[in-house]
Amino acid sequence: MPMILAGLPLILHGLLVTATISLAVLLLGTVLGIFGSLSLLYGANVLRWCVRIYVDVCRSIPHLVLIFAIFYGLPALGLQVPAIVAGILALGLFCGAHMSEIFRGGVESIPHGQMDAAKSIGLTFAQRLRHIIFPQALGRILPAWVNTAVEIVKSSSLVSLVSVVDLTMAIQQIVGRTREALLFYAVAAMLYFAINFTLSITGRRLERKLGHG
Amino acid sequence: MYQFNWRPVFDNFDLLLKGLGLAVAIALLSLTIGSLIGLAAAFGRTHGPPPLQCLTTAYVELVRNIPLLLIIYFVYFGLPLLGVSMLDNLWSFVLALALYAGAYLTEIFRAGIAGVGKGHIDAARSLGMTRLQVIRHITLPLMARVVLPSLGNTLISLFKDTSVASAIAVPELTYGAIRINVNTWRVIEVYLVVAALYLATCYAIAGSLRWIERRWAIVQ
Amino acid sequence: MAEQTSRRGFLRSSALGLGAGVTALAAAGCTGGVTATGPSANKLNEVLKRGTVIVGTGSTNPPWHFEDEKGDLQGFDIEMGRLLAKGLFDDPAKVQFVRQASDARVPNLQTGQVDVVFQFMTVTAQRAQLVAFSIPYYREGVGTLLRRDSAHAGALDLAKARKKIKVSILQNVYAEGLVHAAIPQAEVMQFDSVANAVLALDAGRVEAAAIDDSTVRWLVRQNPDKYKSGNYGWSPQTYAAAVRQGDPAWLNFVNTVLHESMTGVDFDAYASGFEKYFGVKLAPPPVGFPVEFGLRHT
Repeated sequence: MPMILAGLPLILHGLLVTATISLAVLLLGTVLGIFGSLSLLYGANVLRWCVRIYVDVCRSIPHLVLIFAIFYGLPALGLQVPAIVAGILALGLFCGAHMSEIFRGGVESIPHGQMDAAKSIGLTFAQRLRHIIFPQALGRILPAWVNTAVEIVKSSSLVSLVSVVDLTMAIQQIVGRTREALLFYAVAAMLYFAINFTLSITGRRLERKLGHG
Repeated sequence: MYQFNWRPVFDNFDLLLKGLGLAVAIALLSLTIGSLIGLAAAFGRTHGPPPLQCLTTAYVELVRNIPLLLIIYFVYFGLPLLGVSMLDNLWSFVLALALYAGAYLTEIFRAGIAGVGKGHIDAARSLGMTRLQVIRHITLPLMARVVLPSLGNTLISLFKDTSVASAIAVPELTYGAIRINVNTWRVIEVYLVVAALYLATCYAIAGSLRWIERRWAIVQ
Repeated sequence: MAEQTSRRGFLRSSALGLGAGVTALAAAGCTGGVTATGPSANKLNEVLKRGTVIVGTGSTNPPWHFEDEKGDLQGFDIEMGRLLAKGLFDDPAKVQFVRQASDARVPNLQTGQVDVVFQFMTVTAQRAQLVAFSIPYYREGVGTLLRRDSAHAGALDLAKARKKIKVSILQNVYAEGLVHAAIPQAEVMQFDSVANAVLALDAGRVEAAAIDDSTVRWLVRQNPDKYKSGNYGWSPQTYAAAVRQGDPAWLNFVNTVLHESMTGVDFDAYASGFEKYFGVKLAPPPVGFPVEFGLRHT
């Protein structure tokens, strides 16, 4: 017990870093996802091809490879970025690719009859987006969004491999210092589990509130 | 302006190819071991006594919510500190990845089991087959075709996850990239080539799986 | 109509107020902030007048510069900073440490934000083009860390071992060449962090960890029951303090302080820091012929 207390400041700091990275990545990813999905759905052919390539490439390479590529590659091109920013950028690109697919799928799953009916009563594109597409797509998108959020929290642990002191790196340092492997790996597992489980539960509750099963 | 120099990468291309081969092998191995774990857990969940159901649920929920890296660290660093050190870094990773895969595969197999029509099972039981015979002759074969696409996707995921093995110095593709990098610092070239290799292999695996699925469907 | 006029009037008056405020601030800024800018070719006088010396250092690398449980800085670089303060003001407390990242070492000197940098800075020709280096205050190298209960006595022993020896190291330029220079047939495992490289040693995954010599000494000092040193250092690099270029008086002063701490009146202070952070008891320099000129005595 006293050993946990001694390691607590570092663990909490690591937890904060993990949470910050996850939030930043989700934000970046959602924004990219909105642009990406809109491009895939309604964009010009060239734009659609570009986004398609982006999405397919991101889904075929490991997260770690992109993190390393950005972390080592940007300085080679002359751009000095802190490790945490490189990590957020890399994971954000991945998240954006996932989100583009999720949002696209959500919108496409809305029956076309509704769109035709909306067009026939004279709603503009913006109005269709706001009143027909958005509310219905939201319910379908939410479970997948929460899943992606959980994956991002787990992938955030990879930034420890570029020397960002997140929860995983903090635990490694403490285990190295104290050799209490079972205790501290269990603590780390519990913390990650707590975050992700809460995310999933919140997601499910939101889903029910939105009225979609 | 960044000066491209592809020489160091192609001088070490054999290193990258060996790493790629190892990555594919690890993925297949972990899928196999993970499937055994997953099948056992899935049947435990659907056919087993409540304590076993509890245990498998706990396993699945826990492993699906924690990072792979943490599991790897626990198996590679943690177990020896607790006195258990049988496996070297390669097998530690295979075990960790198999445990990780097992959790996802449990859910896949559970859905597969549930998908087997009750009619088939009732008919078989009425013919006097034991539960084990039902599983062997009815459930598994019917399940196999249904879970195949999911298994394929899992294989591709596992293949990408092998890159995390570089954290414990397993000589797969990403570790090869790291080694070339630290000596030559041709980061852009190395990661472009490595990304291309991962991409090509993912497409190759996906293509092979689609071919297998089509063959299977025809035979059925 | 009345609304519009009043809005316009309000906007006009607030714009005037803003303009007045900005001019006032600019005037205040101009008169107040002169001292912070511009090069000073007599840093020594500036520091003496100020009453404290500003030392740039880090905070995350034991045993050089790190924080204790209370968050106070300690480490060998910190000791060197205090020595400088003692040399200036006869009071080792008259030093202000500025925590900075590694990539701020050169810029902070060039802009005058710090007077001197003590931050385990390796002397290289490229860096010497940008800053002025003092004389060395440590010679760093790669050392080997072994487990206390290891059957091997040290690195040289490992080199002669029959079995395949596994050595962990930080991902590093020429990492494999580095290890093979000392232990030719070792299998080198590159890790992403020193913490993991040492943890691999703890967990019995490797026989030795090839890490900074000073880190080896520190870990052995902190945990003599866990570790022992491989007693072999190679790949030398020089650690020195750095100051801004173009100020010979200041550089000379820093050199004098360092020199006397390693060979003269302040040797005890240097040696006590050395023992505290590296666990090595230094013998005082021999009396008589100045040791810095290399001739051996019998």
